Amino acid sequence: MTAQALEVVAIGALQLVAVFALAPLLTGIMRKVKARTQKRIGASVFQPYYDLSKLWRKDEVVSDYSSWIFRSTPWIVAVATITAALFIPVFVPLSPFSAAGDVLLVLGLLALARFFTMLAGIDAASAFGGIGTSREMMMSSLIEPGLFLTIFVVSLTFGGTNLTSLVSAAARTGIVIAPTMLFGLISFLIIIFAETGRLPFDNPATHLELTMVHEAMLLEYSGRSLALIEWSQSTKQLALLALLANLFLPLGMPASIDAGLLPLGVGALMTLAKVALLAMAVAYVETRVAKWRLFRVADLLTAAIASAMVGMIFFYL
Amino acid sequence: MGEMRTQVPLSDLLTLSAVGLLVSTFGVVVRRSFAGWLSAYRYQSIILAGSTAVIAYETGVWEIYAAAALTLAVKAVVIPRLLVRVTGSVRDEFKIEANPFVSVRLSLLISTLLVALSYGLVRQTLASANLDVFAVTYLPVSVSLFFIGLFVMVSRRMALNQVVGLLIIENGLFLFTTALTQGVSLIIEVGILADILVGVMISALLLLRMSQTFDSFDIASLEKLKDD
Repeated sequence: MTAQALEVVAIGALQLVAVFALAPLLTGIMRKVKARTQKRIGASVFQPYYDLSKLWRKDEVVSDYSSWIFRSTPWIVAVATITAALFIPVFVPLSPFSAAGDVLLVLGLLALARFFTMLAGIDAASAFGGIGTSREMMMSSLIEPGLFLTIFVVSLTFGGTNLTSLVSAAARTGIVIAPTMLFGLISFLIIIFAETGRLPFDNPATHLELTMVHEAMLLEYSGRSLALIEWSQSTKQLALLALLANLFLPLGMPASIDAGLLPLGVGALMTLAKVALLAMAVAYVETRVAKWRLFRVADLLTAAIASAMVGMIFFYL
Repeated sequence: MGEMRTQVPLSDLLTLSAVGLLVSTFGVVVRRSFAGWLSAYRYQSIILAGSTAVIAYETGVWEIYAAAALTLAVKAVVIPRLLVRVTGSVRDEFKIEANPFVSVRLSLLISTLLVALSYGLVRQTLASANLDVFAVTYLPVSVSLFFIGLFVMVSRRMALNQVVGLLIIENGLFLFTTALTQGVSLIIEVGILADILVGVMISALLLLRMSQTFDSFDIASLEKLKDD
């Protein structure tokens, strides 16, 4: 038992370091792809690291009128996101925290992070923060049912909500070509675009624009707090893309943690490659579409909900 | 490692095409512009031709190949081009469904229920019938296409949407006959396609006259009879 426990701890530590270290690189790759598809050279893929280290060293400006919520939000967001990332089996078919909770807890942690981001948006009482918060509330009220339905589709197909067993079952069966999973995949793709604030929903590249959603809530942040929030945003992106890859495209992932070191290493590398490819695809789609009008965004999110619903219907037929 | 598949099995192909057909139908429901409907319809027709070709390959009936080719030519190329051409002079604001009778989001959810309804109906009515794999996969899809097309026709305000709804219904019927009978005589297929072509031409002409006379495609303004 102790050897197994040690193994879980080791995997957890490795995953923590790897996810935290690689998340900004993923953002950098996405920005680079976006720049190249727009016929720009773009910054180096390591630019997010430079940005983060510079932000980390900079002084912070905090409004006198803000409360403890504003100050503690970056830490809460970072901790919640990292904990959620540790619940997700990213590189090996084992979720380090799976003894403590399942996929519903991941959604809860992401919701907690979003909730505090929204509170912080209103806390500093700037007009932009309020705009961003109300938009985020509208969108998240539609993202969440879609995300839950998608997760239910996956849970029903593979049985259970424990992420370790879900990913193992996915790895054992390979790519499932069934209407349930295909509609679930469509829905999950749309949800990932919405959840990570990508283009038809929100433009991640703008800072002072009336259409911004996520950035509007963070407008008051500077220095170390901003670095923490940006870092957790990248982490969330990496974790969600890895979840998508491991549940829907489990090629190369060994079915069990006892598969031996070589298959596990190959599986981890394959996951990295898949996540990078998915990120490039996301960035490419982002150059192809324009920002949608806020009230049309609901159409797309409803499409995600409808797609997940069809997946559920197919499961019960 | 998961089990490796040496080749794509037939059932996977059928499932993929059935899902593609449903998704493209949802595309018609969720889009708001005429160009969007047409592109969704075009994708639907291409997938339809593909699934017809799969049926032809599996049954080995050459007439179904011809039907698939005709479907591709007429429905994916000729009809969309014809509609774009005819409506070229119509102002853009008449090509957008801004204010449907049933909102787009609600229609999406209703469409999912229609899909469930048609799967339930087909499963119940044909539970005892001894059907092959094509019929089992495609019959519920064709019934959903029929229902969703009908729903699009009654829930939208723009006359162009009525035409697209009719085309979806026709696609559903085509899929129904092909999946169930595996090859109606080619003459009949050609006749149906010609019928659809003429139908679209006539409706396009009507649309043109409508836009010239009323300066609108809103079918709500067609409900009252006028004496003068």
